[in-house]
Amino acid sequence: MTRERSLLIVDDEAPARERLQRLVDALPEWKCVGVCGTGAEAIRHVEQQRPVVVLLDIRMPGMSGVEVARHLSRLESPPAVIFTTAYDEYALEAFDSRAVGYLLKPVRRERLESALEHAGRLSDALLSEINLRTRGFDQRRHVAARMRGELKLIPISEIRYFHAEQKYVSVHHAGGADLIEDSLKQLEEEFPDRFVRIHRSMLVAVDAIEALEKDAAGGYHVRLREVATTLPVSRRQVTELRDRLRARR
Amino acid sequence: MVLAVVLVSELLAFVFTLVRSGGTDFLTELARISMLMQWLGLTSAALLCLLRVPLGRASTAAATVVALGIVLVNILILSIAMIWAGRRLGAGETLSMFPGETWLFMLRNLVIGAIVTALLLRYFFVSHQWRLHVQAEARSRIDALQARIRPHFLFNSMNTIASLTRSDPDQAEQAVEDLADLFRATLNDAGRLLTLKEEFELTRVYQRIEMLRLGDRLRVDWDVSGLPMRARLPGLTIQPLLENAIYHGIERLDEGGLVTIVGQCSNDKIEINVTNPVGAAEGDQIRQGHQLAVNNIRERLQLAFDGRGSLEVAESGGTYRATVRFPVI
Repeated sequence: MTRERSLLIVDDEAPARERLQRLVDALPEWKCVGVCGTGAEAIRHVEQQRPVVVLLDIRMPGMSGVEVARHLSRLESPPAVIFTTAYDEYALEAFDSRAVGYLLKPVRRERLESALEHAGRLSDALLSEINLRTRGFDQRRHVAARMRGELKLIPISEIRYFHAEQKYVSVHHAGGADLIEDSLKQLEEEFPDRFVRIHRSMLVAVDAIEALEKDAAGGYHVRLREVATTLPVSRRQVTELRDRLRARR
Repeated sequence: MVLAVVLVSELLAFVFTLVRSGGTDFLTELARISMLMQWLGLTSAALLCLLRVPLGRASTAAATVVALGIVLVNILILSIAMIWAGRRLGAGETLSMFPGETWLFMLRNLVIGAIVTALLLRYFFVSHQWRLHVQAEARSRIDALQARIRPHFLFNSMNTIASLTRSDPDQAEQAVEDLADLFRATLNDAGRLLTLKEEFELTRVYQRIEMLRLGDRLRVDWDVSGLPMRARLPGLTIQPLLENAIYHGIERLDEGGLVTIVGQCSNDKIEINVTNPVGAAEGDQIRQGHQLAVNNIRERLQLAFDGRGSLEVAESGGTYRATVRFPVI
């Protein structure tokens, strides 16, 4: 007898969860090791249970399925992800189904079997492509930092600024500072309304800026809410920064 | 386009000649008037064409005055040019080609020009309005269709029913009946006047389907007992408001929330408020998504009550509110 492979079901709607669970129960090779109603719960579950596959609803309150998938991909050995959705508004169907697993609800048993067969890891490139399509509709609400193999989710609203150092980007937020794997460029493109570039290596939350100051030597600095040190502003960013601050008022 | 201008100018010239000519000098008269008309038609069209961008930005009244002014000044210049040409060419056979009585000639041209131009502008205005109207009607039909059948709702409901067929067949049966009623209504009733009772029943049918799916995340409070249930309103006015409240509000909140539907009636005027909580993050997206359905409902209300029906939407302090007002008829 073949060894059972584990999977996790994530959907915010109870009837949808129940139906998927029933379908999975009928497949001898697969074992459902958990059902979750929210994205945050799903991430915790994945860290503990380490399922082979996650069936992930895209449209969920709080953290969308796409955001969950992005966070999961930061794990040491991430699970394979199969998206489920009632209506293909993101045109995921356009992707090669072997590259991006997706299922349309109501899910057919044969389709589920075939998707599970081909389920694989989503590549970073694909994830950022999917993210691009879903942007504006479902912005990420957290960035994920990896700490000793576990994911720490930092709410975007608590972030003061990002600082690019040699290899990593550090994110400075209400609860301290952590290293993340997103690049400054990605972050800047993903959250154009929220963050502004003040320096080649710094991206600052517009809302966190208290003042733009000029020092005796003619250099500019910004002072941030609840941040002790001021941050240098490069000369070429001053005009844009002023515009953004003016637009804020 | 140029050909049309030439043709219309020539036809007008023909009409004027027929009116003026006593029959003796018909061809000379036609030649004379044609020359003036062709010059006038082509230069006026060219001038207005050059100015179409700034005129398009101006208000209708301002654009009309400017266009009329341009044509009249043009007539004046051309009339003077003709008189001048007549004088330069001198007497002889050619003289009858050109006007004798200078002031009378100019005045007559201006008056005729003003009337004809005004008529033409009015014609263009009306035909443009008509075209806009046809476009708006076609668009609102498409909007109505899209607003009525939201694919998410359809497929999610199907999924719920698929799940219930095993776990709770009775409920699955009811869900199918509800869904059938709702779709029958969306196919037949939009545009028809329903009584408030019928519209509320439809809205409750919809609510029942969504409750199966969302469980206790969706709570709806109704307070419409003070309304005259026989009052009429366009079908599918309240149901899509509840749908919006769920799709853009409740469904996006972790904990769900409470939708209230509250109605008042005084002095034969009905006001119904639908409110729902919204998350902080997604204001802009909500507004965009709402717009289609909101515009569609607003148009139908205005149409049904001759401008006395209205729909207003507002968001403040995390609460989204849609207010429908209409007279009892």
